[in-house]
Amino acid sequence: MAMVKRSVGVYQRLFGSSYCLSTSAATTDHDASQRLQLPPFDYKPRPYKGPLADDVFARRKKFLGPSLFHFYQKPLNIVEGKMQYLFDENGRRYLDAFAGIVTISCGHCHPEVLNAIMEQSKLLQHTTTIYLHHAIADFAETLASKMPGNLKVVYFVNSGSEANDLAMLMARLYTGNIGMISLRNAYHGGSSSTIGLTAMNTWKYPIPEGEVHHVMNPDPYRGIFGSDASSYARELQDHIDYGTSGKVAGFIAETIQGAGGAVELAPGYLKLAYDIIHKAGGVCIADEVQCGFARTGSHFWGFESQGVIPDIVTMAKGIGNGLPLGAVVTTPEIASVMAQKLQFNTFGGNPVCSAGGLAVLRVLDKEKRQSHCAEVGSHLIQRLRSLMHVHDIIGDVRGRGLMVGIEFVTDRKEKTPAKAETTTMHERFREIGILVGKGGMHGNVFRIKPPLCFTKNDADFVVDALDYAISKL
Amino acid sequence: MTVSLATRLVTRRSPPLHWRRGFARAAVDAETNTVAARELPPFDYSPLPYAGPTADEILAKRKEYLSPSILHLYKNPVNIVEGKRQYLFDENGRRYVDAFGGIATVCCGHCHPDVVEAIVNQTTKLQHSTVLYLNHAIADFAQALASKLPGNLKVVFFTNSGSEANELAMLIARLYTGCHDIISLRNAYHGNAAGTMGATAQSIWKFNVVQSGIHHALNPDPYRGIFGSDGEKYAGDVQDIINFGTSGHVAAFMSEAIQGVGGIVELAPGYLPAVYNTIKKAGGLFIADEVQVGFGRTGSYFWGFEAHNVVPDIVTMAKGIGNGIPLGAVVTTPEIAEVLTHRNYFNTFGGNPVSTAAGLAVLKVIEKEHLQQNAFVVGSYLKERLTALKEKYDLIGDVRGRGLMLGVELVTDRELKIPAKTETLHVMDQMKELGVLIGKGGYYGNVFRITPPLCFTKEDADFVADAMDLTLSRM
Repeated sequence: MAMVKRSVGVYQRLFGSSYCLSTSAATTDHDASQRLQLPPFDYKPRPYKGPLADDVFARRKKFLGPSLFHFYQKPLNIVEGKMQYLFDENGRRYLDAFAGIVTISCGHCHPEVLNAIMEQSKLLQHTTTIYLHHAIADFAETLASKMPGNLKVVYFVNSGSEANDLAMLMARLYTGNIGMISLRNAYHGGSSSTIGLTAMNTWKYPIPEGEVHHVMNPDPYRGIFGSDASSYARELQDHIDYGTSGKVAGFIAETIQGAGGAVELAPGYLKLAYDIIHKAGGVCIADEVQCGFARTGSHFWGFESQGVIPDIVTMAKGIGNGLPLGAVVTTPEIASVMAQKLQFNTFGGNPVCSAGGLAVLRVLDKEKRQSHCAEVGSHLIQRLRSLMHVHDIIGDVRGRGLMVGIEFVTDRKEKTPAKAETTTMHERFREIGILVGKGGMHGNVFRIKPPLCFTKNDADFVVDALDYAISKL
Repeated sequence: MTVSLATRLVTRRSPPLHWRRGFARAAVDAETNTVAARELPPFDYSPLPYAGPTADEILAKRKEYLSPSILHLYKNPVNIVEGKRQYLFDENGRRYVDAFGGIATVCCGHCHPDVVEAIVNQTTKLQHSTVLYLNHAIADFAQALASKLPGNLKVVFFTNSGSEANELAMLIARLYTGCHDIISLRNAYHGNAAGTMGATAQSIWKFNVVQSGIHHALNPDPYRGIFGSDGEKYAGDVQDIINFGTSGHVAAFMSEAIQGVGGIVELAPGYLPAVYNTIKKAGGLFIADEVQVGFGRTGSYFWGFEAHNVVPDIVTMAKGIGNGIPLGAVVTTPEIAEVLTHRNYFNTFGGNPVSTAAGLAVLKVIEKEHLQQNAFVVGSYLKERLTALKEKYDLIGDVRGRGLMLGVELVTDRELKIPAKTETLHVMDQMKELGVLIGKGGYYGNVFRITPPLCFTKEDADFVADAMDLTLSRM
C-alpha cells in the first residue's frame, strides 16, 4: 500500500495534472523507468558540432597522461551547461547533482556571473596587484563582511590546494611550531604539502610530508565512538601529548568531509578540538572549500554549524562558480607575520576572477540561496531517510543543506562497503539522466552536491531514481 | 613647445584626441643633442569613461582587507582600469606604455580580441565541469601545446599557476627517481608554495619554515658571477653538490633559462648543456621553468631552453600561456608521467574549458601575428637602444636579455657594481610620470625588467628608451 501511495506521488510530481493519474499499483520495473523523466526546463542547448566523445577520449589518453581519470565506463562528453543542468554532445540533458565537484554554486553559466566575467574580460583581464584595481578591493571587502569575529584579511589564490598550502604556512609562521594536525579521511589538496594534510592513501604519493599528524576521525557512522565528540577530542589531546612536542602549529578540518564521503563531524567536536589546539599553541583552520558559500543551508559557512570561529578560513570551488579562484581569510594579527617577507601571487585576485567572485556573492544573497539550500536539502534528506526504511543497502544518509551523502553497504551491521553496487548505480544514474558524485575511502558513497539552484523537483527526481536504481540491482 | 609638451605629459589629464592620432616626434633635439619629452606612439582607441572607486579609496580598502605584505609599485600607485594591446589606461583615461606586461604575463596584448572572443564564447557555453567528464577544449589545447615541444614531451598536466606547475614538476621528479634532492640556482624564483619556496633562492621570498631537500648551486651570472661567462666552470659546482651534498643521486635540476624575478639574468653560455650531463649521470631529471621566458618571448626561439641546446625532461609554464587567465601547465614524457598513476592525482580547476580555450587562442594569435618574430626584431632593437644608453650613462651597469625579456641593471660604481637601489626606484617613478610602466627585480632591487606584451612596436621601444634617456639626463 505504501508502494502504491508512493508511485501515485511520483506521478503527481513528475507529470502534474496534464496526465491521467493511475491508481493501480503498477510498480513494475518497466513502468518505473518510464516514469523517470527530468523535471521540465525551458532551454534548448546550442547544436554541437565539435569533436565527439571517442575522439576527445583518445586525445586525452595521448596528451593528458595515463593518470587522468574519468567517470563512467563510457565517458560522457559534456559540452554545455545551464543552471543545474548539463548537456552532452547529442543535446541530451542531465541533472547535475555534483556541480563539477561541489563547484558550481550559482548554476552553470548563471547570467549575472557570466555578465560580470565578460564585461571585465573586455576591459582588463590582468595586471597583478602591483597596480591598483577596484575589483579585488571590492571583493575582499564583501567577502570579509561574510566572516565572523576578526576574520577580515583576505589572500587571493587560484585553487583550494594553494589556499590550504598558504594556511599551513601562516600557521607555522604565526605559532613558531611545526606540527600540523588533520583528520583521517580528510582531503585538503593534491600538491606536495597538502598531500600531507590529506588523509586517504589513495590520494597520497609516497613523499616526505614534513610533520603532519592524523587523528581519529569523529565519524558518527564509522567512527569507534559514534557521535561522542568528547571521546574523539580526548584522542586528539592524547595525540598531542604523546605524539608531538606538546605544541603544534595548527589543526585543519572540513566541517563536512567532501572527498571522504560527506562525513559530518560529530556534533560538538570542533568546539572541543579548537580549545585543545589553542591550548597547545596552535591555530585552527576551517577548510570551507566544499561546505562554504551557503551550501549547508543552516549557515553560510560550514564551521558556523559547529559553533566555532576559526583563526584561518580557506575556500575555493564555489567561490567563483567555476572560476579558478581560491582565498584564505584570517585575522590582522595572524596576517602580520606574513609581512616579514615578500609573498606574491601573480594571478591571485585578478580583476576577472574578483568580479566573478563578487557577482557570486551577490547572486547567493539576492536569490536567497542559503535558505533555499536549507529547504531543499531538508526535503532531500528526509525523503532519502524514508528510502532507508525500504532498502537495506542504504547504510547511512547524512549531510546538511545541499551537501548530502548516501553510503551503501551490503551488510548494515558490518557496514561492508557496497563498492560494486555503488559503481553500478552510478552508471545507472547516468543512464537515467542524473550525474552524481562518488566518494569515500571505499568508493561507496554517493555525493549529492548540486548547484544551489537545485529545486525540490530535482530532489524528488534524484530520490525516485535511487529507488528505481536500487530495485534494479 | 617642448616645455609645454613635457608639462602636458606629466599632468594627469588625458591628452587631446588629435595627439593620440598624431605622429611621434623626434626625441632628440638635433642642435643641442638634449633629450626632450615626447608623446606616446599613436593609438587609435579611447578608453571607456571610468566612474569607479579612486586610487585612494582602493588603497584604503587594500590596507584594511588585503595582506599587509601586499606591495605596490610607485610612491603614488597607479589605478589601472583598462587595457588594450600594449597599453594601459588609468582612472583619468591617461594612457601608458605597458613595458612590464603584468609581469611577463600579457603576451598577446591586453584584451586581445581573439582571446577575449574565445573566453566569452566558452564562458557562455560551459565554464567548468572537471575532467571527470569529457570536453574537447582541454584535448584541443593539450594537443596544440604538445606540438610546440621537442622530443617526447607530449603529456600535459594543467594547473592554475606557475607555483602549482613547479610544485607538480618537483613532485613528479621525486616520485620518478625515488630521490628527494633537487638542485636549483641561487637567485632563482620558482614559486611560493611549500616545495617551490625551497627551490626559490632569494631570502626576501623565503619564510622561516622548513624547506627540505633543496640545494642551491652557484648562479652562472655573467655580470655578477665569479666565473663571468664561463658556463662550464659554474657547472662544476653542481657536480660538487651532488658529490658532497647528496647520496650521489638526485631527483632533479631546475632552472629558468633567463631568471625573471632575479633580474633578467641570462645563464652563462655552455652552462645548461654541461649541467644536463652531470644531472643525467646522477639519475636526475632536468626541469625547465618556462613560466616567464616561454611562448616566444625570447624571440629567437619559442622556449627559453632551446637557446641552450638542451631538451628538458619536464617543462613548466604559466603567465603568458593564457594572456593573463589563471592557467599553468607541466609537460613531460609519457614514461615520466606514468609515475602519477600510482595514486590519484587531481586538479579541480586545472584544464577547465574556459582557460584551455583561452590558451588555444593564445597559441593561434602568437602564430598568426608572428609575435615571436616581432619579439626578436623589436627586442633586438630595444636592446641596441638600451646598450647605447649604457654608453651614455655610467649609472647603467649592464644591459642584458633576449627578445622582449630585457634587463637594465643600475649601479653607482661600475667596477664595484654597487646596486643603485634608490636611483632605480626614482627612475621607475619618473618613467611612470612620462607614461612608461616597467618592472623591477634582482636581489638588490636595482634591475629594470622590460617584458612587454609581444605586440610591442619599434615606436614603443623608442618611447621607452627615450623616457629612460630623459630621466637619466635629469639626474
